[in-house]
Amino acid sequence: MQTEKLQRAIGAIHVRFGDQALMRANRLPLVRPWPTGQSGVDRLCGIGGLPCGRISVVQGAPGSGRLSLALALLAQATREFARVVVIDAYGGLDPWTLERLGADLGAVTLVRPQTRMVAGEAAIALARAGASWQLVLGDLPEPALASLESAAARSGCLVIAVGEPIGGAGPKEARNALAFASSLTLELERIRWLKEHGQVVGIRSHVTCIKNKLAAPGVGAAMELRYPRGGRRPSGELRWVVESAEPLTELREEVMTDPWGWSAAG
Amino acid sequence: MGLVCCGLVPHLELANRSDLHGQPAIIDRGDGHVLAASEEAVIAGVRPGLTLRQAEALCPAVITVPSDAVGASRMADRIAAALYDLAPAVEVRLQGHAWLDLAGVPRAAFAVAETRRRLRAEVGVEPRLGLAPGPFTAALAAGRAKSGRLIRVEDPGRFLAPLPVRELGLNAEQLERLDLLGLHTLGAVAAIGPSQLQSQLGAAGRAAALLARGAEPIPLHPWRPLTVTGARCQLDPPVENREALLFVARGLCGDLAAELGPRAAGAGKVRIRLGVEDSASEVRQSIVRHPLSSATELFGLVSSWLRDWRLAAPVNEVTIELPELETATQRQLRLWTGGDGCAEEVDAALERLQERHGVGVALRARLGLPTSPLPEQRFVLTPA
Repeated sequence: MQTEKLQRAIGAIHVRFGDQALMRANRLPLVRPWPTGQSGVDRLCGIGGLPCGRISVVQGAPGSGRLSLALALLAQATREFARVVVIDAYGGLDPWTLERLGADLGAVTLVRPQTRMVAGEAAIALARAGASWQLVLGDLPEPALASLESAAARSGCLVIAVGEPIGGAGPKEARNALAFASSLTLELERIRWLKEHGQVVGIRSHVTCIKNKLAAPGVGAAMELRYPRGGRRPSGELRWVVESAEPLTELREEVMTDPWGWSAAG
Repeated sequence: MGLVCCGLVPHLELANRSDLHGQPAIIDRGDGHVLAASEEAVIAGVRPGLTLRQAEALCPAVITVPSDAVGASRMADRIAAALYDLAPAVEVRLQGHAWLDLAGVPRAAFAVAETRRRLRAEVGVEPRLGLAPGPFTAALAAGRAKSGRLIRVEDPGRFLAPLPVRELGLNAEQLERLDLLGLHTLGAVAAIGPSQLQSQLGAAGRAAALLARGAEPIPLHPWRPLTVTGARCQLDPPVENREALLFVARGLCGDLAAELGPRAAGAGKVRIRLGVEDSASEVRQSIVRHPLSSATELFGLVSSWLRDWRLAAPVNEVTIELPELETATQRQLRLWTGGDGCAEEVDAALERLQERHGVGVALRARLGLPTSPLPEQRFVLTPA
């Protein structure tokens, strides 16, 4: 009798909210990684690429290279996907920069919402419709994030959000909500400017995976970014320096023996 | 050489009345004559065309019911829709004939078996089946088969020759003329040339001679699915809660998608009508660039309207109409570039965003003057 009631309730949930609303754990689809083509990012993710169907956050202080990293990933995505979507909540994205990074502009759809609420609505609607790749620039309203997470999980949409670090500028609630909703968070910290002949030509940043629901976090790597130069050819370049700071290496070793203990410590 | 399967069930006006199955029953044509008679009434001697008094005299227990042409027509549509995917051409007539043109169909035997199963499911009685090079011969073969059995005609001439001339469907005067000419069987009619019979009976004579020879001059008139559909839900008591309306709309979209799927159709236009108490119903409609066929697509559009709808009063009826259906077979939802699952659904979502927030919300960029020092001159943004 109880089993029948349970089956009826499960059936009602399936009818009302779809098959994916309720399923056995052993039938949950495995997370598919998207190899980014950036060896450093793929290594930091721990699964060989950014997770599809999840929200990943690239955060850092202004000038840390977070947007440059996100745009480099976007440029790579335009070469692999026929349609990538950028939710440009600030309206400040310069497509020219993308072009300098070798992106195919024809594959980019730019969504410029008037308000944060519209930005949230657009992100959810497009993730639900099956847009494969989304870059969110700017804060989304807190209530939208749960829906976005769910819509992305259902359609397999890869969402990358560029955000402020905890304690940075911007609405605190939105930052906390984004940190909570993300499956993977990469934090960037500028080490130094790269200069040639007295001019800044790039930056060197340290990238750390500070949250990872799919593999061990705590891995770090150094990144060198050469800014795009003028001229007709793409000239932007991301170069990954195969080096990790000593403390992170030690932490990583601890993760393998006692992950929960490390997590508490971290 | 063609191959036509005919499934024969009772006249659809009778078949539509499942409560009369197994009883002697006749349909009143409306002018005091019999339109159709059940098998039990036919055994008692009742024939279509007799007066009701004659029918009652022949079979005192006969049940007379009025004609319901609309119900029968709907049943014909249901049968045709059920058989639609089995053959390139399907024709269903109210007399109980369902023809399928199986020429070129790779698994004709399967189609015949499936025809039997689907007719039984739709009508509730076991059909009789005939398989012949043309529809006329196939119908006659089905008429001579037992319930649930098939008669296959390899040589139409030999099969038709001994049959009486009344099978040609001529009127009483023409039949009398054939009788006077000494033509009592189809074989005798076939022996006369079409032009000779045309001189006696007009165009009907020519057609009769060709039919008797198995030449099948009358082609099938394939059934075409409706180009309009809709779903409606009455709400009693009236509903004001938006979530409840969304729930109802989701169900209606599911019903419509279930109807569109087997037809391989998509909605080119979607209209939602909310019936409001004591005032005219409120309507919204949209033309969509790519035909919508799945419940998700339909509900995505409808729900975006419902979420913003300012309801003037409680809603007592929700109607979703698809006034323009078109083929959706060219859509290949899951066959786009790697990783991009649903290009059209994304396009539809962008269109909805533009509809709600203006075309400037979704843009495409292309290079303008790449070397310009002003960022806004380096690229041109156009609505996506």
